[in-house]
Amino acid sequence: MHLLAQVPFLAQLATREEVLQHQYEFLSYGLTAAWVILSVYVLMMVGRERKLKREIASLKAMLEEKRGE
Amino acid sequence: MREKILYILGTAAIAILVWNINTIARLPEETRQGVTFKIIFFHVPVAIAAVTAACVSFLASAGFLITRNFKFDAAAVASTEVGLAFLAANLVTGSIWGREIWGIWWTWDARLTSALVCWLLYAGYLMLRQAIEEPTQRATFAAVFSIFAFIDVPIVVFSIKWWRTQHPQPVFWAGGSFPPDWTRHFLWNMAAMLMLGIVITAVRYRQEEAQREIDSLRRMAHAI
Repeated sequence: MHLLAQVPFLAQLATREEVLQHQYEFLSYGLTAAWVILSVYVLMMVGRERKLKREIASLKAMLEEKRGE
Repeated sequence: MREKILYILGTAAIAILVWNINTIARLPEETRQGVTFKIIFFHVPVAIAAVTAACVSFLASAGFLITRNFKFDAAAVASTEVGLAFLAANLVTGSIWGREIWGIWWTWDARLTSALVCWLLYAGYLMLRQAIEEPTQRATFAAVFSIFAFIDVPIVVFSIKWWRTQHPQPVFWAGGSFPPDWTRHFLWNMAAMLMLGIVITAVRYRQEEAQREIDSLRRMAHAI
């Protein structure tokens, strides 16, 4: 424990500070978790969008080729 | 034009959320729960967005069974998937709050359990869709499943009224402890989450239509 925290009044302050720091830590975990989950989902959708566009383009090209034959 | 509106809505939603994080961080501590209470600014809006998505999915599924129009099926799958992501965010933020306030990550109380069951049901809905290849059969089975899954949604919402739960009672009305001057920031976050939900659902809906286009192109390729 910090030397200053051995003084009763300051000890109370140190504890409060520690509690506050701990709470901010958990608040940041919560906010980060919410953002990460939504961001990962959006990134998955971006990936899917690209895949779909590629698939449509290649199918259209294949159809054109088949019609040409 | 529709694309432009989606970009504007999405950008506005993210701008509000980022601006609000700064504002929320500067708000004073809540009397009983301290700083951890502020998780509510995300936990509740994502829950409301998830419940809204479940309602849309229920209506779209019923719409498909009545009309047999595949646009309803696309709307159902899009809103279910987005709702699942929001519900996951809700469960995780709630668990983090519980670890700090209750000292435990999870408890099998009515609200938490019914929310987890809801998540599993909608995950099952998406898995069911993967398992059936024939489009009409897939959409019909999925719509019926979605309507049955929706039965759990009112249970999730009203569980804290119907049973004694460890989950807190609503803090916004009936003498709740939510500081009245914080309501504005909460409502901004809720509006932003709903806007984000609308944008993601619209994009997912478009993807489902693209998938249908791919299916019809494949059929044409086979026919030629």
